[in-house]
Amino acid sequence: MKAGFFSVLALVLATLYAPLPAYAHSPICNCYNDEEDESKVVCEGGFSDGGSAQGVPISVLNDRDRVLITGAMDEESLFTFTKPDDDFHIVYDAGPSHQVIIYMDDIE
Amino acid sequence: MPNIPRYSSTPGLFTRSLAVTAAVLSFSTTAFAHFQVLYTPEMALTKGKATQFTMVFTHPVHGGPHMDMGQPEQFYVVSQRGGDAKPKRTDLMKYVKPIDWLSNKKEKGGTAQSPKKAFDASLPRSVTRSLGDHIFVLQPAPYYESGEDKYIQQFTRTIVNVGGVPGNWAEPMGLPAEILPLNKPYANWVGGVFRGRVLADGKPVPNAEMEIEFINHKPDQDGHRFSEAGEVELPQDAYGTQTIYADAQGEFTIGLPRAGWWGICALAIGADTEHEGKELSQDAVLWVQAKDMK
Repeated sequence: MKAGFFSVLALVLATLYAPLPAYAHSPICNCYNDEEDESKVVCEGGFSDGGSAQGVPISVLNDRDRVLITGAMDEESLFTFTKPDDDFHIVYDAGPSHQVIIYMDDIE
Repeated sequence: MPNIPRYSSTPGLFTRSLAVTAAVLSFSTTAFAHFQVLYTPEMALTKGKATQFTMVFTHPVHGGPHMDMGQPEQFYVVSQRGGDAKPKRTDLMKYVKPIDWLSNKKEKGGTAQSPKKAFDASLPRSVTRSLGDHIFVLQPAPYYESGEDKYIQQFTRTIVNVGGVPGNWAEPMGLPAEILPLNKPYANWVGGVFRGRVLADGKPVPNAEMEIEFINHKPDQDGHRFSEAGEVELPQDAYGTQTIYADAQGEFTIGLPRAGWWGICALAIGADTEHEGKELSQDAVLWVQAKDMK
């Protein structure tokens, strides 16, 4: 029983002192209609600490959650895609509990 | 006046300033601080949108009197999304349009001052469309202040943020006169403090004399005037313009006791001290917005 308690305590302490995940700060994503090409949407990613979003996965899904387009933020933390015919939403996925969802109607 | 070394490189500037001040005081019991206003209603935008900037040279805590501005020498924005991204400079002079800024009757014992030349810049969404910091810089023409027989040029910065992604708000720009923020100027709670460092050509200015004023009369950007009534009644003139000095490293801290816009000005810190044969005061102005926790 005692050994079990210390095992749990050790595990909790180990977890607390483990390195923080790469995306420790709030993820932020903003998508807007491309003014130079109306068929496209531009998404900008970032984090609340100013960190780069390069490599963060981003997906475009329809309203049945089927993935239509998938990719990752580029070196300028940008991702551009052609608007699908279906209604869609965007998932900027910076890890567990670090997802930003943007719905089509919120894109201006 | 505290017994501290002066920062100016111009011998005798303090003595001359004192003489001028004494002369001014002998004619008037109230000394106002000049402030170059570079106002837009919201510094912290949730998403990119079109913005409107108002440029008025005035005494914001009293809502006037205003001074005629000359055609600004420069108005531009330096934008940066994320700490490692490259800053991008965009010239905005094509949006700068002259306007007449009206005065209120309460000034000068009930007689309204004539309208004064000010400027408006209505900017399209493309300017502040991206996440990050957008540092707006106004370099006005030197203004001749006949009461002090000198020119004043206030290098003014207003920093707008979109979406909460930081950028270059804490990076010096190397302006002739500049207040470098040590807190985000667009994210301040009432009751907090704001810290900064006074710089001239990117170098700290020890013991700089500074003035702090609250925009006490709400700007009406389309009506081209400030509200007639002030938000706060001043118990005494010294409360209108708060005077402080930066420390030996050029750093300062101020409190933010009320929601709204606070102007911070560092006086006569620029290297150029003469314009058209007269004294020139190159000042730095930074605007800070505070919000209530509610």
